[in-house]
Amino acid sequence: MTSTNLFNDDWLELQRKYWDSWTDMSRKAMGPDTETKTTTPWEAAMDQWWKAMAPAVPDLSRSFMEKMMEQGKNFFRLADTFSKRADEGKAANGFELWTKTLEDMQKRFTGSLDDSGNGMQRLMSFWELPLDNWQRMMSSLSPMPGDVLRNMPHDQFKDSLDRALSAPGLGYTREEQSQYQELMRSAMEYQAALQEYTNVYTQLGMKSVERMGSYIQGVIDSGKTIDSARALYDNWVACCEAAYAEEVATPEYARIHGRLVNAQMALKKRMSILVDENLGALNMPTRSELRTLQDRLQETRRENKALRHSLHDLERRVAALAGEEPAIKPATALRSPAPAAAKAPVRRRTTKTNPAD
Amino acid sequence: MFPIDIRPDKLTQEMLDYSRKLGQGMENLLNAKSIDTGVSPKQPVYSEDKLVLYRYDRPEGAPEAQPVPLLIVYALVNRPYMTDIQEDRSTIKGLLATGQDVYLIDWGYPDQADRALTLDDYINGYIDRCVDYLRETHGVDKINLLGICQGGAFSLMYSALHPDKVRNLVTMVTPVDFKTPDNLLSAWVQNIDIDLAVDTMGNIPGELLNWTFLSLKPFSLTGQKYVNMVDLLDDPDKVKNFLRMEKWIFDSPDQAGETFRQFIKDFYQNNGFLNGGVVLGGREVNLKDITCPVLNIFALQDHLVPPDASKALKGLTSSPDYTELAFPGGHIGIYVSGKAQKEVTPAIGKWLNER
Repeated sequence: MTSTNLFNDDWLELQRKYWDSWTDMSRKAMGPDTETKTTTPWEAAMDQWWKAMAPAVPDLSRSFMEKMMEQGKNFFRLADTFSKRADEGKAANGFELWTKTLEDMQKRFTGSLDDSGNGMQRLMSFWELPLDNWQRMMSSLSPMPGDVLRNMPHDQFKDSLDRALSAPGLGYTREEQSQYQELMRSAMEYQAALQEYTNVYTQLGMKSVERMGSYIQGVIDSGKTIDSARALYDNWVACCEAAYAEEVATPEYARIHGRLVNAQMALKKRMSILVDENLGALNMPTRSELRTLQDRLQETRRENKALRHSLHDLERRVAALAGEEPAIKPATALRSPAPAAAKAPVRRRTTKTNPAD
Repeated sequence: MFPIDIRPDKLTQEMLDYSRKLGQGMENLLNAKSIDTGVSPKQPVYSEDKLVLYRYDRPEGAPEAQPVPLLIVYALVNRPYMTDIQEDRSTIKGLLATGQDVYLIDWGYPDQADRALTLDDYINGYIDRCVDYLRETHGVDKINLLGICQGGAFSLMYSALHPDKVRNLVTMVTPVDFKTPDNLLSAWVQNIDIDLAVDTMGNIPGELLNWTFLSLKPFSLTGQKYVNMVDLLDDPDKVKNFLRMEKWIFDSPDQAGETFRQFIKDFYQNNGFLNGGVVLGGREVNLKDITCPVLNIFALQDHLVPPDASKALKGLTSSPDYTELAFPGGHIGIYVSGKAQKEVTPAIGKWLNER
């Protein structure tokens, strides 16, 4: 399949038929047992559609398209949740129904709504965006995929681990034991910091649902209705962003944010110490040694450049006194064609682990 | 009444439209191929370590170049091609059109070997040598300096330490008061142990900075904008424009560790322009030592450098010729929006030409 015939009219017609059949399915699904339905046919349809297209898409464009697909799902998910309730609204009190929808969203944030891991849970995964950003960033700085400590059990083992880690090391390997204990303590602190950070987002999720409630109330008061998935999604984003902006401007958030970054750095530093120890044992140069060399080299280069500059200045003065042009060109002249600025090759981890999985 | 009236058939139609746009737009994405940035012809005239100083070619029909060259100092964060991102959105082109002889410092991509570069190395080293090169090449005592964002803070420091080499100073979206109440970045960084971060990482990875910037508006910047993008997919030019911006946003060089350490501590944590205590090469930076004309440009909807952070410059220098220009846009829009092309660059050129 080539890019030129990938999206021709026949294919789009097939698409249309596919969506039409989904519409029928969807209508049937909105029977009295809607609450127990956990399937989302449209989501399956989008996945199927993407599966058909993806092989023809180059890697670079694929990740970009996937972002658009994922966000598209997010806003249809939101619309799906509310539109099902709208259907029920014909036979029931509309006010109660949308209030219940918002309550379900809040319950989802607190983890007290069991919807078999479907619908509402995936809708709420939208609120994982900030955490997802953190995870991607962590992944790019770590030899491990994703943020490996994120889902590690923590609270239930904390006391016993604390006790074990406070026991002093003994014997010939005392220092080594001590270093591993420090590493474990750092890992525990990081995990606790991440937990605290995650909790902020749970609270934030609930606050944005409250804002959404106020917004919907405003729509009711104005006698209007929201009649498109896109409008609903845009307003949901605005509510989330507003709740977020308010929360992250507080000193408490700054403290939690700082704790997370500091804990991560402390853990990484502990790991680096152990790596250096092992490199030293293998008679390899360590990061610490390289840094000492870098510092000394930079100091030498700094002096060298300052001396060259002074020398050039002196030459100019001498030449001026003698009424001549400087004998040599300034040290700043381009000596060779400058290479195009290129980013140094760095390792980039591209695999993403979905935190919602 | 239920306030949300999204019927299944309407929802289906929206989904169909969405997937149709996505599918048709894929053609444009596939055809986009490589994304060109930095469109104006330029020549490298000086290089040192990873730094390259470029001189932009005078376009046909442009007025005769002014005798005093203009040096643009960009931030270490992100890449300077933002100033010349596409044909019809280029600050560089706008400046050339006003007769400026434009030079720009490209800092390159620092790696671990550059970890020990200090703020002093950047200001009194790299920038000063570029300035000296221009002074000698053009046979002038002083040059014009234009600093962008963090590069504006660098330009302020440079102008304070070397007032004898700067004829006019232009600062764009430049933080001066780093602790205005609406400065989220500043609020967040107060509790971060910068020494620990730099000692651990050496250089500060671009990914860490990206995460910080995206965290300012996570839902809009990492979610909603891709939905908005679908609406643009049918226009090949708009697709390319979007991809150019996307490339720029995520093209984040690592930050030389020692410079980052000092910049964050001296400015974000100690607000050094206001409180003093910034020492480079054994000399303290005092903005009162700036005597040249100053044009201070800020963006009214800037969420990275709030307007008040820039406006604080007023009264801090000794310049008898201080001008402010407020642009109704954001931190990036001031370079890439159509309005900026019409308002900002001509104003800079006019201001410089008058001096």
